[in-house]
Amino acid sequence: MQKFTKTLLIILILTFAHSLNVNAEDISEINDLIENAKELNGQEVTVQGEVIGERMVRGDYSWININDGTNAIGVWINKSEADKILYYGNYKNQGDEVRITGIFNRACVEHGGDVDLHNNSIEIVQNGHPVNERISYPKIITTSILSLFVLISLLFLLKTIKSNKATD
Amino acid sequence: MSKFRNRTYDIEIISYYTGYIVLIVAALMIIPITTSFIFKEWNVMLDFIISSAISLTVGLNLIMIGMRKKVSKSNVQWKHGFAVASLSWIVLMFLCAIPYRLSGHTRSLLDACFDVMSGFTTTGVVLLQDLDHLSNGLNMWRHMLTFIGGQGMVVLAITLLVKETGGAYKMYVGEGKDIELVPNVKGTARQIWKISMIYLMIGTASLWIIGILIGLKPLSAFFHALYIFESSWSTGGFAPNTQNIMYYHSVIYETVAMIIFILGSFNFGLHYAIWRGKQREVLKNIETQSFFITSFLACILALAGLAKLNVYPDAVAGFRRIIFNVLSAHTTTGFGSIYARQFALEWGGFGILILILVMLIGGSACSTAGGFKGLRVGIVCKGLVMDVKKLLSSERSMKVYKFHHIKDHILEDSLIKTSAIIICCYLVIFTIGTLLGTYYGYSLSDSAFEAASITGNVGLSIGVTTPSMPVTMKVYYIIAMYLGRLEFLSVFALIGYIGGGIKRYAKIH
Repeated sequence: MQKFTKTLLIILILTFAHSLNVNAEDISEINDLIENAKELNGQEVTVQGEVIGERMVRGDYSWININDGTNAIGVWINKSEADKILYYGNYKNQGDEVRITGIFNRACVEHGGDVDLHNNSIEIVQNGHPVNERISYPKIITTSILSLFVLISLLFLLKTIKSNKATD
Repeated sequence: MSKFRNRTYDIEIISYYTGYIVLIVAALMIIPITTSFIFKEWNVMLDFIISSAISLTVGLNLIMIGMRKKVSKSNVQWKHGFAVASLSWIVLMFLCAIPYRLSGHTRSLLDACFDVMSGFTTTGVVLLQDLDHLSNGLNMWRHMLTFIGGQGMVVLAITLLVKETGGAYKMYVGEGKDIELVPNVKGTARQIWKISMIYLMIGTASLWIIGILIGLKPLSAFFHALYIFESSWSTGGFAPNTQNIMYYHSVIYETVAMIIFILGSFNFGLHYAIWRGKQREVLKNIETQSFFITSFLACILALAGLAKLNVYPDAVAGFRRIIFNVLSAHTTTGFGSIYARQFALEWGGFGILILILVMLIGGSACSTAGGFKGLRVGIVCKGLVMDVKKLLSSERSMKVYKFHHIKDHILEDSLIKTSAIIICCYLVIFTIGTLLGTYYGYSLSDSAFEAASITGNVGLSIGVTTPSMPVTMKVYYIIAMYLGRLEFLSVFALIGYIGGGIKRYAKIH
């Protein structure tokens, strides 16, 4: 039994380590796709990044845009696949981190020459979440002090206008 | 002593009007403050309150300096008008950069100033980081700046003047505009804003409906529509997302944006003439003739050049990408429907050269567009034809040559000379920019492309303009955008004025 457990454990570790290696090597950066667009055109690639903006539904499909920190790219994705995405990145939210495998098009014939990915599979690597905004107290203090400056300047200006009128 | 008194008097006049313009633009910060309040972006709201407080204090103090000696507002001379226009742009660049810097989306104050100048001059290149997480407040501000910059800050200030002043026209000309739609400059400024606001309503509504149809949520579609309209009309090229116009994946959205930026690149005088029922002006005007000829030739040549390289798989893709980008470059808008690096990697030398040429030519005079303008190109070309005709005709024949721009004008040598000088100034700025790029190790074509884009206030990038580019290049690009937008004269006047002041100060002491 102990022997069996050990063997199983080794197999699992090896499989996991191997899959990690493969993933790390296979993931392409969006900028690399653009730089090597001619070579990679029509090939299956994997990119990983944050889903940003919002989903645009077009019939049975949707457009989503993902940003991996080097650049952003549009992904043409099945509607049901897009349903998996819960958070889209913007000022208020950190979008879901997704790993997408699909066909890379340098100038997509179906989409009028778009540089895009036609998605086969989507995997949520990390769930997105709302971003909690903490109000900065130094900013509140600065605002108060500067408002006072505006008030003083305004009073001085009114005084100057008044004295100018009196001289006239 | 009298010279010193004159100098003080000059400074007071410049200070008074600069303060007035600063005050107007500072007051506009109420719009991003309200936007941030509605979207509950509290830190952004505080950023804008801080920025507006600083700007208001600066503006009020500048006005006070000018008021102390009871400035006679009607005694504004040309030098004052030019200095006010150019100085207010510099002061406002720093003040309007404060919310950018406080947002944490820029690496330095210089980057923030770069983006503001890019907005004011309707260039559209960006150094802002992480555009996709930008707040609604800051997005509203950057698109507002490019919209106001397109019509002109001075134009805005004159519109809000209570009384007509003698100096208003001189400041108006100082900002690179000279068209007179109605007999007084205040009325002209108001007409410019009226035209822009009517287009704003129609354009935003159209893009809003299309935005909803292509899958954007109604509220988000509205803001995208407003931003893209402001960018298109002012031939700016900013967009709320990293992918620029590619974010929408829609040919209809691109087409409507294209119609708006072509309209925005036309002279306000032309819009006004059409509104008054003079539709034939579109065909007769030297500027539109020049624009139609150069854009047609550029599109045909680019299509032929890129077809030879097999860049696009079919005619639909080719037409959509090539015509959009060529016209975006020609109208100096700078929306890109392909990635910046694709120009360098796929368009080839010929395609890049076509874009450089159209970016330098630019749109119409007295519009929101940049470049050395179709009017000047038309005048110089007609001047060349006139000279050839004069050479071939009898010495005794005294033919008067004319051109049509809103009304008929006599083609005089002085006008041809002035146009040629301005074109030469643009070429000098472009050459220095190209030299600087190559000095820092960028390729000749990349440097020339970026220099043309900056000089012509276009905003298309080939990948040179990034936050990591050398500081010297950032500073030079800011200066080039500023010179290109104000068309040199007022900036030269300000430099001459400051230089003269320093010289006199040195003499006295």
